[in-house]
Amino acid sequence: MLAVALAGDLDRAFERLVIAYRVRIVTFVARMLRDDARAEDVAQDVFVRAYRALQAYPAERRAALRLRSWLYAIARNLTHNAFRDAPPASEPLDYDDGNPRSALRDPEPGPENIVLREEAWGSVGAAVDRLSPALRDAFVMRYLDELSYDEIAESLEQPVGTVKASAHRGLMAVRAHLEKNDE
Amino acid sequence: MSETNLRDFGAATRRSVAPDFTAKIFSRCNLDRYTVAQSSLGDVYVAWTPTGVSALRLAGDEHAFEAWYGERFGRRCVRAVEDDRTSSAARAKLRGENVTVPIDLSECSPFERRVLKHAAKITRGNARPYGWLAREAGMPDATRAVGNALGRNPVPLLIPCHRIIRTDNSVGGYIFGSDAKRTLLEEEGVDFAALERVARRGFRYVACGDGTFCLPTCGNVAKHVDSPGYLGLRSLEDAHSHGFVPCTTCRPIAA
Repeated sequence: MLAVALAGDLDRAFERLVIAYRVRIVTFVARMLRDDARAEDVAQDVFVRAYRALQAYPAERRAALRLRSWLYAIARNLTHNAFRDAPPASEPLDYDDGNPRSALRDPEPGPENIVLREEAWGSVGAAVDRLSPALRDAFVMRYLDELSYDEIAESLEQPVGTVKASAHRGLMAVRAHLEKNDE
Repeated sequence: MSETNLRDFGAATRRSVAPDFTAKIFSRCNLDRYTVAQSSLGDVYVAWTPTGVSALRLAGDEHAFEAWYGERFGRRCVRAVEDDRTSSAARAKLRGENVTVPIDLSECSPFERRVLKHAAKITRGNARPYGWLAREAGMPDATRAVGNALGRNPVPLLIPCHRIIRTDNSVGGYIFGSDAKRTLLEEEGVDFAALERVARRGFRYVACGDGTFCLPTCGNVAKHVDSPGYLGLRSLEDAHSHGFVPCTTCRPIAA
């Protein structure tokens, strides 16, 4: 419905788009960048970029957009650029071995057996921070932001199987980090 | 750790956005926003930019307002979904609260800005003549230009151009019509009947019993012209001959 409104009168409908997605986008960008101060600026860039793209699109294309995955795709691209331009000081403890075949192993999430308490959320945040950017995208979109695998695949421009595997490997890595910290 | 727990973690750690987040985006997209607010004159449209309130007009036809805005400011203005700090401040001010509202006069000429800045200092219950404002703005001979500048006031009510009246204390013109201007001033406590009586008797100033003399439009001195201690004055010579000194609020003569 919002996409249809954007197709009708972009300027009038644009604030609704910003309101609907700003918290998600700022949060996603902050998680990707691990830098709250820059997150707000980059998130604003996401919406400005979105507005200019929408201006250029014909109405039919605007009406047909899946807004959520489309905005995540813009956010993901801009955060990767920001990450590349100014990487954070601490190196992530990478669980990504860079081997695309390992990303295809074990695409289904395993059984859940760790009970998470509220006070443990700080360590979850730390575990998420340590994921490599490649795993963090899919993990955050899937498990924290609850996007469907279809949406994630669309945002990341990757096959569904690949994003399932990345999200799952991210989950395993987060669990491993938490278990190690529990010991 | 279950997926449900992760989802809870995701929801609990969402960030809030800064109050000017949307305004900054709109500014970069060259879009302004407006809302409807209540005022002494009924509903008004209040438009704003990241700098401050840029326009105020009586509410009515949205499309006509948007067209007027686009023509005057060269930017598109769309109906806002939510308030931000600027529009909330304007709303409070129009309700009569004593708040500071940022105003964006970037579209005005430097002369217009100067005139409006001085007009903004005239407080509720007071009025001043056009010539007085011209003098205050440093252009004593530009009374007509001052009138024109007030006529182009983009933010009536917020900058109270209705408090500028004619030298003979008649109400004069207004963006929203003379009747609206008179109503506003009367609501603020300006007593036109008293001002007219004073004018009819040829008094240009009123001495206030504390050694100072005022314009008849300084607060409610006109009403008291016949009260003990007050005295109607026909000229500056009259004031000087009695040893009165000019009031520092209404500054009846140039400093």
